[in-house]
Amino acid sequence: MDYQLMYDITPLLLKAAWVTLKISFWSFWLGLIVSSILVATRLSGILILVWLSRVYVSFIRGTPFFVQLLVMYYGTPAFGIELDAYNAGIIAIGFNIGAYMSEAMRGSILAVDHGQNEAARSLGFSGFSTFLYVVLPQAAGLMIRSVGVLTVIMIKSSSLVSIISVVELTYQAQRIIGSTYKPLEVFAVAAVLYLIIIYGVRYIIDRSYDHYTRYLH
Amino acid sequence: MKLNFVPVLSYFDSLLAGLWWTILLAVSAGIISVFGGILIATIINYTSRIVSAPLRFFVWLFMGTPLLLQLWLFYHGWAQLDILLPAMFIGIFGLGFHYASYNADVYRAALETISHGQYEAARSLGFGHLRTLFLIIIPQAMYRSIPQLGNNLIIMVKDTAILSIIGISEMVLAAQYAISVTYRPFEFYITVALIFYAINLILESLLNHYEKKSLIKL
Repeated sequence: MDYQLMYDITPLLLKAAWVTLKISFWSFWLGLIVSSILVATRLSGILILVWLSRVYVSFIRGTPFFVQLLVMYYGTPAFGIELDAYNAGIIAIGFNIGAYMSEAMRGSILAVDHGQNEAARSLGFSGFSTFLYVVLPQAAGLMIRSVGVLTVIMIKSSSLVSIISVVELTYQAQRIIGSTYKPLEVFAVAAVLYLIIIYGVRYIIDRSYDHYTRYLH
Repeated sequence: MKLNFVPVLSYFDSLLAGLWWTILLAVSAGIISVFGGILIATIINYTSRIVSAPLRFFVWLFMGTPLLLQLWLFYHGWAQLDILLPAMFIGIFGLGFHYASYNADVYRAALETISHGQYEAARSLGFGHLRTLFLIIIPQAMYRSIPQLGNNLIIMVKDTAILSIIGISEMVLAAQYAISVTYRPFEFYITVALIFYAINLILESLLNHYEKKSLIKL
């Protein structure tokens, strides 16, 4: 093991890890927006919207994220949309994770006991305020875990944007491997950074799950 | 720019050749992940903590780092040790081990749901420890994990696309060759996506079918 090399490449990889975090952060929020729209259309009861949202979710979940990313980056210029690699990566991840999140969110919303709905309606809440003030706060607690698991998976699949040459952790690691030819050392440093990010995020998710569901059990 | 799917038709043969490699990769990595997973889970659950420590560490490591990074490590790492392995081998084992660690997690949960009475009953009927594990406990645990295993398998089939980056000529790489000649990225990638979608639909319906059958049997 070449410890000097490991020490030398750490600042470079730290910078790249920050890019990975940034990509994950923005695509997480994009994913939340996409999934909220998908859940709203799915639960709207309007046949054409329900159908569209189902087709979208099924297609996104049925095709490799890698291919979606390639379509987003290399395919969109055919329609006159020119995206740089960084934005194409974020949009591809966001649209992908949005489809998965929408299923998790819908599951959590449907998991709230129907009696809650009826009780709220009989107390005079309208359909929408029942959803907003009674169902959603309870579902939100349940959502944290399932959406959190997806977020962790998303951080890992964000490594794929290195293929379209976004300089994030995996890209930087691969480039250093290419120039030094010390794969094990580089992998060790990059892996530690990924492990910190991923198990850190998981810790936050578990704590906030415990916090938000403390009245549910 | 107008879409033109004619080049896709003329290169459809090479896409289909790529599809065979995709299927070959998926089947062999799938076998490794299913049986590797049960092996890891059994060792972790039924041996001492010291014996299973390295395995637990590797499961933790594999689940906490991206597949792509692991593939780069295996691809370049063996060469660093002066061991030259074909990319196909690295691809199959890299993908297989990655999902074996996910499956091990599934199996471990399933093994814990098998009631201890099963073990005691088998031992009292004269089965040895290993025979009880491999003939009584593990088959039941594997049966119970079919839905989860199926999900992991479907995810794994989609991840075979990533193996194109280490030069395995599966569907995506076949498409990339064709794109470099015809310069029709959108058409080719969408076609590849649709083929994957078709595979996925078939796998999903198979999984649903077997899930129902396995539920009847339990």
